[in-house]
Amino acid sequence: MTSAIKIIFSITLILLSFINVFPQTTFEEQYIYAANLYSEEDYFDAITEFKRLLFFDESDNYVHSVNLYIGLSYKMGGRFSDALQYLALAKLNSSSEEEFFDSSIEIVKVNILRRTTRRAFALLDTIANDTSFVHKLEEINYWKGWAYIFSDEWGKAASTFSEIQSTPQLAVLCDSVYNELYNPQLAKYLSIVPGAGQFYTGEYVSGLISIGWNVLWGYLTIEAFIGDRIFDGVLIGALLWWRFYSGNIQNAEKFALEKNLEITNSALYYLQNDYEGEKP
Amino acid sequence: MRKSLLIIFFLQPLAIPQSTTFDFYSPQNIKLFANYLFCEEDYLRAIEQYELLENQFVNDTIKFKIMLGYSDLKLYQQSNDLIKSLNHESKLYPDAYLVSMKNELLISHKRLHYIALSSFNLSQQAGFNKLSAISLLYGNEQSIKKSDFVSVFNSAQQNTASFLYDYKFNPPYRSPAWAGIFSAIIPGSGKMYVGEWGDGITGLLLTGLFAVLAYDNFRADHNTRAWIFTGIGAFFYAGNIYGSVATAQIYNAKFNFDFQNGLNLFLEQENYFLPEYDFCN
Repeated sequence: MTSAIKIIFSITLILLSFINVFPQTTFEEQYIYAANLYSEEDYFDAITEFKRLLFFDESDNYVHSVNLYIGLSYKMGGRFSDALQYLALAKLNSSSEEEFFDSSIEIVKVNILRRTTRRAFALLDTIANDTSFVHKLEEINYWKGWAYIFSDEWGKAASTFSEIQSTPQLAVLCDSVYNELYNPQLAKYLSIVPGAGQFYTGEYVSGLISIGWNVLWGYLTIEAFIGDRIFDGVLIGALLWWRFYSGNIQNAEKFALEKNLEITNSALYYLQNDYEGEKP
Repeated sequence: MRKSLLIIFFLQPLAIPQSTTFDFYSPQNIKLFANYLFCEEDYLRAIEQYELLENQFVNDTIKFKIMLGYSDLKLYQQSNDLIKSLNHESKLYPDAYLVSMKNELLISHKRLHYIALSSFNLSQQAGFNKLSAISLLYGNEQSIKKSDFVSVFNSAQQNTASFLYDYKFNPPYRSPAWAGIFSAIIPGSGKMYVGEWGDGITGLLLTGLFAVLAYDNFRADHNTRAWIFTGIGAFFYAGNIYGSVATAQIYNAKFNFDFQNGLNLFLEQENYFLPEYDFCN
């Protein structure tokens, strides 16, 4: 053989040997296959294939990411308890601070979605107090803001988001929701003057009806007392006037709560369907 | 040089054995994986995997596990369809027969008419007797004496069984007709008869109040106002009679609902009197 052929033969032999050293293993193929199923939103089959990999792979190479994927797939299917179980396993098997942080945040997001926000706050506080994640404070605050939204504390959500440079839109939204909300206690106390609480919540017809009933029964009560029909006066006043008066107060509070629900639901609807930033 | 290169080339595959292929979908591996899923109680996926196996790998144990899985997923009909494919001589057949009884009870909610198998062991026979007895509570026919019914169960279960028997065959229903009649005689008494004391007293007071107001105004010659109070009083009186009848009906419906819930809870707690099957240890 000439020296040129010898060199080519040697290089080919070395390259061929690398094919054996770094082949795409079947486990890796299985991982890619399952990840593809996940990205195609076929979550049921993705879980099956990830579980298959987890069961057969003894190398522990994929434990973190597979558990994370399974947790996320369960989350997408609305099976939050199962999701938490696998996300916790992903967190336990984290091999870097980044993986630990990411799985912790995913756990927080599931807790936000299932409205176990106390748990979400506790987890966020734990991460925030960890000195390793000082540079992640903005992200921690971002999810804290979302946790406040889901615990119906729009004012706190607004002030939390306002501390983050990158999310002025959320701060404005939460602030406007907070300002729009009615105060149920105020509605109740305003109703000491019949109908005023309903007017405060924008329920003018109901306010007028309330005024009407109170005027009617108040008039009949007073007229009975003036006409010395004390018995009639006591009965009409104590049972009818009082019933409509107290009903007017309860009604105003109920209106305020209902209106608040409408306002917050419409904000949540916007966040779910139109907001383009990261969501739980 | 050439020799060294050849040695390197041929030693690589030996040195790195994990690069060999692994067949996830061989029948043995599918079976292993399905067993794992079954033990994880992920029955839907376990069944899916078992159903991938070709016939020669499917034995009665797998069929029985699929049956159990479907039953746990509340797919009772699919579960029962499998018993036909089980070999009657199989040692799992008596257990499958009991599972099919449970399924049938939950599908039809009727009394079961199953015949005991001669191959039942003592525990299976006890489970069969209890399931047959409890199914009587799904029918309306009181075909067994209370003492005979209760004696089928063990001492820990007898109290609940006795309680359920009484509730089924001597239910403390309230008669809607009597509730209406009582309220027609004394306003509110129909509701008190049903046990709604607060509503009954309120009904009595309100009807009485308007009657008194009407009477007082007639006496004071305030006829218009008196007729208004009479109208309101009559409305409350009639409403109270209607309300009493409705309350009795609601009471009976609630009682039936509670009875059904209690029965379901008892059956679930006792695992439908089926033995515990352990395929995982």
